Amino acid sequence: MNANHPVVARFRERFAADVLSVEEFRGQTVISVKAPRAVEMLKSLRDDAECPFDMLTDLTAADYLRLDAPERFAVVYQLLSMLRNERLRVKAYVSEARPEIGSVSSLWGNANWLEREVWDLYGIRFLGHPDPRRILMPDDYEGHPLRKDYPLKGRGERSHFPKYTAEEAP
Amino acid sequence: MTTTAAGKGTLGTRTMRMNIGPQHPATHGTLHLEVEVDGEIVTNCRPHIGYLHTGFEKLAEYRSYNQFIPLSDRLNYLSSLNNNIGFALAVEELLGIEITPRCRVLRVLLAELGRIGDHVISVGLQAMDLGAFSIMLWTFVEREKLYDIFETVSGGRLTTSWTRIGGLSRDITDDFVPLVRKFVEYFPGVLDEIEKMLNRNRIFTKRTIGVGRMSKEEAVSHGVTGPLLRASGVAYDVRRARPYLGYDKYDFEIPTHPDGDVWARYRVRMAEMRQSIRIIEQALENIPAGPVTALDTKFALPDKFSVYNDMEALIHHFKLIMHGHGFQPVPGEIYSCTESPNGELGWFIVSDGTRNPYRLRCRPPSFINYTAFPKMVEGAMISDMVAVMASMNVIAGELDR
Amino acid sequence: MGLEKLLGDGILATRVSALVNWARQNALWPMPFGTACCAIEMMATLSSRFDLSRFGAEVIRFSPRQADLMIVSGRISIKMMPVLLKIWEQMPEPKWCISMGACASSGGVFDTYTLIQGVDQFIPVDVYIPGCPPRPENLIDGIRKIQEIVSKERLWDAKHGN
Repeated sequence: MNANHPVVARFRERFAADVLSVEEFRGQTVISVKAPRAVEMLKSLRDDAECPFDMLTDLTAADYLRLDAPERFAVVYQLLSMLRNERLRVKAYVSEARPEIGSVSSLWGNANWLEREVWDLYGIRFLGHPDPRRILMPDDYEGHPLRKDYPLKGRGERSHFPKYTAEEAP
Repeated sequence: MTTTAAGKGTLGTRTMRMNIGPQHPATHGTLHLEVEVDGEIVTNCRPHIGYLHTGFEKLAEYRSYNQFIPLSDRLNYLSSLNNNIGFALAVEELLGIEITPRCRVLRVLLAELGRIGDHVISVGLQAMDLGAFSIMLWTFVEREKLYDIFETVSGGRLTTSWTRIGGLSRDITDDFVPLVRKFVEYFPGVLDEIEKMLNRNRIFTKRTIGVGRMSKEEAVSHGVTGPLLRASGVAYDVRRARPYLGYDKYDFEIPTHPDGDVWARYRVRMAEMRQSIRIIEQALENIPAGPVTALDTKFALPDKFSVYNDMEALIHHFKLIMHGHGFQPVPGEIYSCTESPNGELGWFIVSDGTRNPYRLRCRPPSFINYTAFPKMVEGAMISDMVAVMASMNVIAGELDR
Repeated sequence: MGLEKLLGDGILATRVSALVNWARQNALWPMPFGTACCAIEMMATLSSRFDLSRFGAEVIRFSPRQADLMIVSGRISIKMMPVLLKIWEQMPEPKWCISMGACASSGGVFDTYTLIQGVDQFIPVDVYIPGCPPRPENLIDGIRKIQEIVSKERLWDAKHGN
């Protein structure tokens, strides 16, 4: 999908105040937006009359700590329109001070788990999420490992387990 | 425990919480289900995942693009070739390079062989979980034959690490084509045999038809892709919708089934294997000559023979391998996807212009398909849950990454 | 020994420990703690081409209470480790453990925040099998090594709960 597609134009018109930029790289279009109205925006894309983005292919996040970006985090939505076979990427920037954004779990069925994963690994809260638990890491885990300031080898969680030896049979 | 109100004339029953897994034969690895059952009926199912969380995405930020290829094997170990190919294609799209025609055809060949290898074992495990153990042993015989083919091209059975950015680790050997020909000739007979065993098997049909139904709308809303989506009646295949490796030039069909139940998934997988055979036959007829690696792009590794015998290749090799060197893509972000046996395998790569990806996200088909699982089993029997689980072919490595 | 002559045909005199070990080593019941890639190779070992039953170890038991050999095959994460420990506790003595593959033995290529860098830090491992994943032949070799260890067991060892 190119950046001049009518859906993108309509979207820009409607949410002009919140759209940060529309970029095209290798034939893929990215719309960068501010977070507060993200749910409304995504709903308008899902319910678009001409090109409805009915499938949320993926929902993830990125930590732009060391890159030049409007805010530290971005929640990335990969959208797919089954009808028109078009793909679109929406990036909603979330600040480090208030890492939160609205939940789209009421719009797409798979968003529930994907948002839990983003919360687990990035610590971005999803407001209105029905089940905000960790998903991949243990429930008592501290920290959000995919953040850039989290060490690759962890903080010693790997060695806190009881030890059994052959001599002292339990 | 909670008490459910007993209707008039029925016995009052209480629902019970039960744990299945993480170490359980029906869960194929490390899945954990917390189910609330009313007698034999599942009233609520809460899957717990993450038992195999390995930190692929974090590790990728500390590895160069070529170094990630061995890791991509271990992501989905039932179809590592498809992962290798998908990842290499994603990086090539980021770099904007073209691969050679020979490489393209060979990748198609191996991707389809990988798909057969995954589907055949998935059908076998599905049958095993429903009590037909011999099917699993039969399908493993076929998988062993595929392992032989994989070994000739890559040297590895399971973890192939076969692709490189811009090409392949090595060209095929002389015995590759005859081996594949032989396999293609006799494999449809095996499919017939499996169908003979299962299609009219009373136990198998009773436990699959109408079990774990998923409607078209539900499937799309949950982002389900691959055989599961096609079994719900949506003819969506990334090979058609977003052709890569010249898939638009091959003649094949996208099998679908209207029912969306476990039976439909079995039928779709069987039909897909037949289509893969068709693609392989077409690809075998037309393997172009020439190099497998696009050397002129300066992104691909030269082969070992020329590294040892040619000065330029040696310099090129060192430039790519030495610490502090390596190719550096332009800064940018890309989402690229291929049709892996489980569905759409996507890669979202953020490049900051250095040799390592700044952020690498794998869109795991197993994870996203699995989000629909609680919906599918609610109201079903516990034993049906096993059938549904087997039909989804959830690979824990890909689920938890 | 001259005892057989005295007792007649059909009677064989031996040491109790040798008899018990002989029985044990040829009837290992493995508990497959398969998590990742190695589990697929373990399945291949059990299937037709490699056929582990030739070595008397094909009775796979998913219940730890019925098993005496744990095969840890695959990566173990910090979320899975408590489960592994619990299952190890549940297995009755005497028991042996194979750490199959690079990830179970040392963390393999995954030196990350979530992966246990070798299960031998927490449970006693008898045999390590190298490889990523090991080929089925390697697993068979590992099981043969376990059989050797079993054949040298002494019945009064701590391993047997005395």
